[in-house]
Amino acid sequence: MLTINDLTIDFVSVDGRVRILKGVSLNAKKGEVVGIVGESGSGKTTLGLAILGLLDSPPTEIVSGRIVFEGKDLLKLKGDEMEKIHGTGINMVFQEPLDSLNPVYTVESQIGEALKVERKRGNSTMVPESDEESRRVITDLLRNLCIDKPEEVLERYPHELSGGMRQRVAISISTIEKPRLMISDEPTTGLDAYVQNRILGMFSAQIKSGGTVLYITHDLTIASQICDRIYIMYAGRVMEAGETRGVLQNPLHPYTSTLVASVPQGFEDAPPLAVQLGEPPDLRHLPDGCKFNPRCPYLKDICKKEEPRLEEVSAGRYTACWRVDKANGKFS
Amino acid sequence: MGNLVEIDHLTVSFRSKRRASLFRSGPSLKALDDVSLTIGEKETFGLTGETGSGKSTLAKVLVGLYKPTSGTVRLLGRKIDYKKRKDIAFLRQNVGIVFQDPVRSLNPSLTVKEVISEALIASKSVPKKDYDERIDFVNKLVGVTKDLLPRRPRELSGGQRQRISLARALVVPKKLLVLDEPTSALDVSIQAQVLNTLKKLKSELDMSYLFITHDINVIKFVSHRLGVLFYGRLVEIGDTRTVDTEPKHPYTQSLISHVLTLKKAQLQETVVSEHRPAPSGCRYRIVCPAAFDRCAAVPPWVNLGNGHLASCFLYDHSSSRENQALLPTAAATGGDLRVPPHEPL
Repeated sequence: MLTINDLTIDFVSVDGRVRILKGVSLNAKKGEVVGIVGESGSGKTTLGLAILGLLDSPPTEIVSGRIVFEGKDLLKLKGDEMEKIHGTGINMVFQEPLDSLNPVYTVESQIGEALKVERKRGNSTMVPESDEESRRVITDLLRNLCIDKPEEVLERYPHELSGGMRQRVAISISTIEKPRLMISDEPTTGLDAYVQNRILGMFSAQIKSGGTVLYITHDLTIASQICDRIYIMYAGRVMEAGETRGVLQNPLHPYTSTLVASVPQGFEDAPPLAVQLGEPPDLRHLPDGCKFNPRCPYLKDICKKEEPRLEEVSAGRYTACWRVDKANGKFS
Repeated sequence: MGNLVEIDHLTVSFRSKRRASLFRSGPSLKALDDVSLTIGEKETFGLTGETGSGKSTLAKVLVGLYKPTSGTVRLLGRKIDYKKRKDIAFLRQNVGIVFQDPVRSLNPSLTVKEVISEALIASKSVPKKDYDERIDFVNKLVGVTKDLLPRRPRELSGGQRQRISLARALVVPKKLLVLDEPTSALDVSIQAQVLNTLKKLKSELDMSYLFITHDINVIKFVSHRLGVLFYGRLVEIGDTRTVDTEPKHPYTQSLISHVLTLKKAQLQETVVSEHRPAPSGCRYRIVCPAAFDRCAAVPPWVNLGNGHLASCFLYDHSSSRENQALLPTAAATGGDLRVPPHEPL
């Protein structure tokens, strides 16, 4: 239902041009949860914003590529055509709910607004006719999210809610419209285990109702729990992709190995985590060749000269690394 | 192993600024309620709990940023009087702290070198001629390279900033380092590097750590002993391995079962309801699946062996089960459970 082909995006400023995404290809089928995993600066949020058409231009510039959603190339759509897709077609949940909720309206009026938009479009099953009915719908919605005393929460403003509750309100606004594709950008970062579980549980429910989810995260444990397939991104490029279990149990790219090794395992007497030293890349000063080469333990000459392309090494499994033999998916 | 820090019945309450009336002050909130724990020498004590459980309040009491409302804190056997400047200075001389947010905890107008040497100047314990040597020493330990010294915090990445916070905390030799969510603002591969550094440092510097985080995977990996806080009250304390593999308190059991790992599929479909703390007695009793009538009273600490303690009536066999059935409920006695069970059947 979503296919991205060779997407390249630049950030243009007075200091010059920085490539924030390069040649990203991705697809998501109906009913699938696709994870986009990477650290800061890997371009995962940019990718989400690009799909929604929310990147400002300038400073960003789409250099090449196609984003095809249900047969339509989103990059060619005009403003009002894109607006029709927002909401019921594609919707996004952002990392910081305090920034995505309006601080001067109560929870009720913000969820109610989404309902009103639905009514205007006439394409939702749960469209209330009156204010009272709308209030009842919203209360039920909040109760389903395990919010205690939803009647009280209705009257509150975003700043009066806890982080987890705010995020659930933001998600409920996105789910009202039952989007066919939901993009969620780190919705559980900074929240504790319980709240995380509650929110992830909601995503499972969303998928069961037939939606597709693009889940952006840096946390492999979450990705391993909810994603069918994952794309590992580094420096604006896809480094490895495939079925979640296969990628995590048998990583082919050294960056994937480093991410897997970063998850603390064992107790105090456990050996140090086998992580590759170094910081996430500075996109302004990327090395030649493979962008991971300064941190790579298997560095070869070719890695510094030529950038490996993302190639299929076995069915549905892709990697961009010189170390992997393209013919059989084994290390050479 | 002697005890470096002894915290005894520590309570910290905050009074709401909004007054009830002109003559009555607002309600007060207990951020920490009757917390007792010890941290041994060269030990890492892990403290975990949800947001708002009082983890950071404890950290701030240990460096003298908050004063206890009641209870005592002893450091190296000396009882700290929070009203005496000398005692606060003693506390800060021996306890360092690293905060969660590496952006807001570094002065943006100072260079890295100034940030680190400020701690030396304030402590007065290191002679001025040794400053450079000392800075070099700790920078090597935590991995701050020389080229960073003239830069300002905004030019650095999150991982570098957190290393500088660490260098600042360690530049004056400390007995205890309080780490308040030191890695939760960092990228995963940076978090792993900082955790490795912290574990290596501890063996080299003979320090104790109080490691505070909500991430159970992290706390398991670093700490010898573990304490679990629920809304200001410690509910369980013990050896990390024991608490993790055989949690006793219903809250700890539930908390640990919700930790996501890479290995197994464990996402729970049944969604947990909001945690509302009970105003009295066991704070967890409203949501606790095992709650019974005795839970309306404050549960005692039950020793489960090998320093594993849980504050829960389920393990308290001091009075027999038959007696429990006879205990009047809180509602019947107006909330006072100290009425002896002498009523005839």
